[in-house]
Amino acid sequence: MNDLSTSSQITYRAVPIRPGVIRRIRGLSDQALAWLFITPTIVLLLAINIFPLVWTIYLSFTNYRANRPNAPTLWLGTDWYQSILTDPDIWAAMQVTAHFVVWTVLIETVLGFGLAFLIDKKFRGHGLWTTIILLPMMLSPAVVGNFWTFLYQPQIGLFNYVVAFFTGRGASSFQMLGDVTLSPWAIVIVDAWMWTPYVMLICLAGLRSIPDYIYEAAEVDRASNWRQFWSITLPMALPFIMLAVLFRGIENFKMFDMVNLLTGGGPGSTTEVASITLKRAAFESWRTGYSSAFAIILFVTVFGLANIYVKALNRVKSR
Amino acid sequence: MAEVEIGAVSKAFGKTQAVVDLSLTIGDGEFVALLGPTGAGKTTTLRLVAGLEAPDSGSVRIDGRDVTSDAPADRDVAFVFQQYSLYPHLTVFENMAFALRAPTRRLPEAEIRARVEQVARLLHIEAKLHSKATQLSGGQMQRVAIGRALVRSPSIYLMDEPLSSLDAKLRGEMRLELKRIQIDLGATILYVTHDQTEAMTMASRIGVMEAGRLMQIGTPREIYENPVNAYVAARLGQPMINLLPAGLFAGAPSTAKTIGARTEHLAITRNGGDVSATVTRVEHLGDQSHLHLDLGGQPVVTLAESETTLDVGDVVSLRLNKPLFFDATGRRVAA
Repeated sequence: MNDLSTSSQITYRAVPIRPGVIRRIRGLSDQALAWLFITPTIVLLLAINIFPLVWTIYLSFTNYRANRPNAPTLWLGTDWYQSILTDPDIWAAMQVTAHFVVWTVLIETVLGFGLAFLIDKKFRGHGLWTTIILLPMMLSPAVVGNFWTFLYQPQIGLFNYVVAFFTGRGASSFQMLGDVTLSPWAIVIVDAWMWTPYVMLICLAGLRSIPDYIYEAAEVDRASNWRQFWSITLPMALPFIMLAVLFRGIENFKMFDMVNLLTGGGPGSTTEVASITLKRAAFESWRTGYSSAFAIILFVTVFGLANIYVKALNRVKSR
Repeated sequence: MAEVEIGAVSKAFGKTQAVVDLSLTIGDGEFVALLGPTGAGKTTTLRLVAGLEAPDSGSVRIDGRDVTSDAPADRDVAFVFQQYSLYPHLTVFENMAFALRAPTRRLPEAEIRARVEQVARLLHIEAKLHSKATQLSGGQMQRVAIGRALVRSPSIYLMDEPLSSLDAKLRGEMRLELKRIQIDLGATILYVTHDQTEAMTMASRIGVMEAGRLMQIGTPREIYENPVNAYVAARLGQPMINLLPAGLFAGAPSTAKTIGARTEHLAITRNGGDVSATVTRVEHLGDQSHLHLDLGGQPVVTLAESETTLDVGDVVSLRLNKPLFFDATGRRVAA
């Protein structure tokens, strides 16, 4: 037995270099090196994403209040979830959010694709126009919110002046941000102004990916411009358009900054999107447990919708 | 099908002269191949006929009608692109039916179906009709691309290196099939290629192009046997024609600077020839062998029998048998 193990040891050593030795660099194996590189990312991810998420889930079942950290914490089970899902105010906020998401995404997609389609025609100076169109997207949302507040000013605002100029009604006769029916649209306009360029950029990438010879083939095949658009341009750019819709949809579902700056949810609660409701519950009423439950509900909603959407997107792409 | 007449057409892209004063008439039912290296202006010529480019000067007439300023759609041409140019989101059937469904044609759906299925059978892709264009192999895609042209009965088929992306075996098969289809349909074809075998085997006439100019046009036999210059002579023949200084052999005309000796112009014997050469390399290709010789410092490549016993270092004797002669500018000189 002893003999055998010794001999096998010798055979083992007779192999010139063990593969493991080659992989070892200064005492670190490939595996260790890999861990070394990804550990900081994992730690960060755990600290600022995973832990807060798990903690939020826990808090959503309790009556914890962040402004009273020393008060005893009671386990409430799914009470918050029940009261949120049956609360008409919450459903109103969800409707405001849906209105906002649907209209901004619709307008941005139609305008963005339209602009991309025009820019793609490569007319003289199209490079300059691309840059000009992209400018709003490059601004900070805080800046955009602030100066649109000025533009919407009934007395001195440029927006009101332009509308007055073209329609003939008095510039101070309407308030974009103070009117119950106008204020939701005021926010839609600003978001569309800021983010249409982004959709255009993605659509432009899609249009540029369609090779010229496909159009040439269609031209020889006597396809009219109209038919080329419907049977080549649109189907081949569709995955890109859908991607833009996904990005804008998720982004606007959790829209906060611009609404907060422009209207703060008012007048009344006409522009109170879900994230504003959430912020008020969390940091004005300090109902931490309640707002945690609401945050989780929003998270699951976006996550679920996005997942369904990505499945549809993949189906379109694989066609 | 119709006659196509290209009249003194020129086209420049920026400072590059792509096509220079090119005239060519393609007869009804004729298969004309344009042969030349990359950048010779073959594809541009084809695109000018299709209307995908507008000529700077000159005219294009199809069936007697001047179409120079017409859009591609109004010219009644079919184009097979070098890239497959299939509509990726459509099925093979939809791809082939695409042109037939143009509103200007107003074909009944039953006839579209019949024509697509007929062409699919011709090209052996009938089993693939309902696959997506992206699910096909390269050879199948190219068949569909050709099929898209064939379902129509245009005045002329314009084909831009349609076989270049296929492997050698498939290319050989498609060459035969395309020629058979052309004869069956009596199709007029203008075909661009850089492959001399394709041009030789399929074309009724070959036009050799270089730097935007049509150097010579004629039957494959004419081009091969009577090239107008050394350039055209070098385009055809395998192994390539040997261009040797006229002084190497006696008997060249006084104006000749170069002797063009194809393999059939060179008789190899062990001795008794005009000049002697040393064997530097023997390439055995199976059915034949390429013999590389050193003739007073000039490399010469010729064919030898496959079972040749010659080996490196052997000295052989060469005799010329009615070679071609070219002057200092490369132009052909009568013997």
